[in-house]
Amino acid sequence: MYKLILTVRYLFSKWIAVFSVLSVWLCVAMVLIVFSVMDGFLDNIKQHSRGLLSDIIIDNDTLQGFPYYEEFGEFLKDRMPGEIAVVSPVIYSYGILREPVTNFTKPVRIVAIDFDSYRAVNDFSDSLYYNRYYPGTTSLTQTQVPVAGIDGYDRPILPPSHELAYQQYLKDRDESNETSEDFSEPGFRSPHGIGWFKQRFNTPRMDGEPLPGIIMGTDVIYSKDKEGFYRRFLERGCEIILTVLPLTHRGTIAENPIPVAMRNVDDSRTKVYEIDKICVYVDFKLFQRFLSMGSLERVDGTFTPPRASQLLVRLTDDQGYKAAQPRIEELWVEFRESLLDRLTLSDAELIEGVSVETWETRQQDFIQAVEKEKVLVTILFAIISLVAIVLIGVVFYMIVIQKTRDIGIIKSLGATSAGVATIFLMYGAVIGVIGGVLGVLTGSFVVANINELQALLARLNPNLQVWSPEVYTFDRIPSAVKPGVMVSVFCMAVATSIFGAIVPAMKAAWVWPVETLRYE
Amino acid sequence: MVLARVSKLHKSYALGRTKVSVLRGVNLEVREGEMLAVTGASGCGKSTLLHILGALDKPDQGTVSLAGEDLFAASTWRRDTIRNRDVGFVFQFYHLLPEFNVLENVLMPRMVGTSTWGWMSARREAKAKAAEILELVGLQDRLKHRPNELSGGERQRVAIARAIVNEPRFLLADEPTGNLDAKMGKGIMECLHGLNEKGQTIVIVTHDQQIAALADRQVRLVDGKIES
Repeated sequence: MYKLILTVRYLFSKWIAVFSVLSVWLCVAMVLIVFSVMDGFLDNIKQHSRGLLSDIIIDNDTLQGFPYYEEFGEFLKDRMPGEIAVVSPVIYSYGILREPVTNFTKPVRIVAIDFDSYRAVNDFSDSLYYNRYYPGTTSLTQTQVPVAGIDGYDRPILPPSHELAYQQYLKDRDESNETSEDFSEPGFRSPHGIGWFKQRFNTPRMDGEPLPGIIMGTDVIYSKDKEGFYRRFLERGCEIILTVLPLTHRGTIAENPIPVAMRNVDDSRTKVYEIDKICVYVDFKLFQRFLSMGSLERVDGTFTPPRASQLLVRLTDDQGYKAAQPRIEELWVEFRESLLDRLTLSDAELIEGVSVETWETRQQDFIQAVEKEKVLVTILFAIISLVAIVLIGVVFYMIVIQKTRDIGIIKSLGATSAGVATIFLMYGAVIGVIGGVLGVLTGSFVVANINELQALLARLNPNLQVWSPEVYTFDRIPSAVKPGVMVSVFCMAVATSIFGAIVPAMKAAWVWPVETLRYE
Repeated sequence: MVLARVSKLHKSYALGRTKVSVLRGVNLEVREGEMLAVTGASGCGKSTLLHILGALDKPDQGTVSLAGEDLFAASTWRRDTIRNRDVGFVFQFYHLLPEFNVLENVLMPRMVGTSTWGWMSARREAKAKAAEILELVGLQDRLKHRPNELSGGERQRVAIARAIVNEPRFLLADEPTGNLDAKMGKGIMECLHGLNEKGQTIVIVTHDQQIAALADRQVRLVDGKIES
């Protein structure tokens, strides 16, 4: 009983113990913050790599793309029935975006997608902002601007298609899955994003000339001002001109640049800055034609096969991508050989460079680098933990020195050496538990609010802006704490504190009472 | 009946490179219920003898038996138990725990000898017993005071109360009045006398002949041996 009472009494009567608690507290908070951010960063990379690509990626890493992609898609479905869920072709190219009213221009990466299959092959759908509130209204084909009307009581009335979609959203919404982040995206002032007539009694309608739709990456249409706030400079529904450079299958420029008038229909926020700052999404069939990648008539009256930059394959079994990759690779080789007699030389060159990879191998270099960085950080924190152990050891040693006489008294009353050692080990454990709990709470709070804290610091002093999306890929710092990490760090704190108390506890246990009691 | 028997006890200390023999073959018997005074000049080894008698120190040679049990042939755990249950110490400098109040200091030997779960059931009875002993030594109004709020005499009475709370077989007092003025010293001796009259075996180490004269029997330690 005396062990518990002495532990508690020493804890509250010794200011020096506060330093031990403080060191454990700060150490735990620091480890938790760094681990959570590193872990979140790694998870983000893995999740986004897969979510933005697909299970299997087939491409030849050129702007010309490769032919016979459609045939291979069918071949794949035929040879792996029940295993292939969706196959979606993609074209990558570059263009110049121009807003005709302000003449604002920006270079962009064009991602031409088959909207329906692309949404099924990866998580692109989740990145669309307006499509969330008006499901089914975002389209890359000919589209107009939705304009809300105002009734006699100044209440907005949506166009029927949007009203229906919004009601559907309200019906299907899962509020438990909504975070404050959903409504605090840079520059999103309202979830509606619908144009308004200012006068009363106007009826809602779809306005303007029908134009092909274009989805913009959020960082293409937003800019960050000096105060750190995001400002949107291209409104939804506005007309823009996208100028593209068609390429031949040999990679030369096929004809003059083609300006395409388009309408901004939605924003895409994948949360990967590298993608959101440059990518715009357009209709696959339309841009296949504009980019000269469609079927063209040759001089001899035959037609060239249409080309795509990439073929994304989603499997029915999420976990089966590693096993499926070699099989698809074999099927590609088989398919390629079946084409030999009808390939032109240039097509053969494009076909030759095609590779079949999983999302993981595609991002392997990056993932491995981050994993190595995580190991490095673990080693660094092991060293920091050693420092904490030494600090706790020193503090406890001082307490033991101060309390040597008391230890002698307790031993003279019959306390065993093990009992005395237990006092200090329990003391260490209590300090570990208190410091650990405080550290976990502090660390979790900081991680949960890390983006807001960073924004606050950056507002105070721009030099304190440590997270740069240009450097770290993602536009926000990962802010999730895993319960497993929390528990591990907490246990480590308690174990470290007990470990730090071992040497002083042994010294206390070895005190020979008479040595301490002989003199005052 | 002999309660404690010391035979051929030797003890020396290293003082730098010099070995100083403090006890050189001490033989002594303490009878149950007596009050024995051990006197001698300063530095003659009185306190060392007392510490060895109470298993606070180890002899180089010789044996000490308490109620027939050889203290230094027993295990460390057994010696700790004997120190808790059978021996009570009163030191010259009181040696109270400064973070604890008077009642808690007196309860400490009970706490040391009781497990956490045992304490839950024994706590009430132990507190009552400690309060009763504190009343016996005249400190019933000082239960919640810390040692630094007490006078020297009061502190020593707390030390006596702590020493007897477990009803030990014998009480060892090392210069119990050495740090007190004559009046307080007299009070402490009256207190010890009262305990002795109730049957408590007491061994007092003192260099004060007046204090020693109050004991039932005196032995004198000269040159590390009991003077016959």
